[in-house]
Amino acid sequence: VSKRKLLPTRAALTLTPSAVNKIKYLLQNKPEYIGLRVGVRTRGCNGLTYTLDYIKEKDKSDEEVLQDGVRVFIEKKAQLTLLGTEMDYVESKLSSEFVFNNPNIKGTCGCGESFNV
Amino acid sequence: SAKLSVGLRGPRALARLSSSSMGREKKAVAPENRLFQDRVLLTESCVKRLQEIMAKGEYLRIRVEGGGCSGFQYKFSVDTVRKEDDRLFEQEGVGVIVDEDSLDFVKGATLDYNEELIRSSFQVLRNPQAEHGCSCGTSFSVKL
Repeated sequence: VSKRKLLPTRAALTLTPSAVNKIKYLLQNKPEYIGLRVGVRTRGCNGLTYTLDYIKEKDKSDEEVLQDGVRVFIEKKAQLTLLGTEMDYVESKLSSEFVFNNPNIKGTCGCGESFNV
Repeated sequence: SAKLSVGLRGPRALARLSSSSMGREKKAVAPENRLFQDRVLLTESCVKRLQEIMAKGEYLRIRVEGGGCSGFQYKFSVDTVRKEDDRLFEQEGVGVIVDEDSLDFVKGATLDYNEELIRSSFQVLRNPQAEHGCSCGTSFSVKL
């Protein structure tokens, strides 16, 4: 008897509820933007760092993630390194930031901004 | 030649030149007649943010600890207690506390609240005691 194996297909990026809410809030009064784009740049002590921008139109090579009504686009260069990452929004009195919980990360910097894969 | 062209365009051009360069450089708002060498300066956005988030009797504490990729790192917290070796820097109703040991590593630096899409946080800018830092600004090494 052969068992059928079911593999879950995961989105390239998943958003936590707080990230969804924050993105909704950010885009609320900005009809000219269709969503946010996540990218990576070579910067920081550990090699790479994330970038986040508003975008007006989708680039051909962008991967689109649609979740709970918000759109996040992943820059081509970032697709491989971001695969399976959870995007969260953490707010405290002294800082508020989007955090990427990336299973591919080998090491991070003390500040959490820089990483290598 | 820069001097010459300013002279030709007159004082209005000069004023525009200086105001635009001030806009780019985040200027600390501090009384001009004080000595800045052994204190921490606050930018306008830092003062504004502290006014928003801090209740009465709450201060922002800056601590310098060993750690981070460059040897030292800044730690920010909210504190209500002032200890004996703490220095308090007050500006427009908000206060920042730095203990004496940490102050040696941050004196003359400017504290800023930096707002970006990906992250909004307090940052230490232009620390004269720091040699070079990590891109995030949290970690730094010290000038010997």
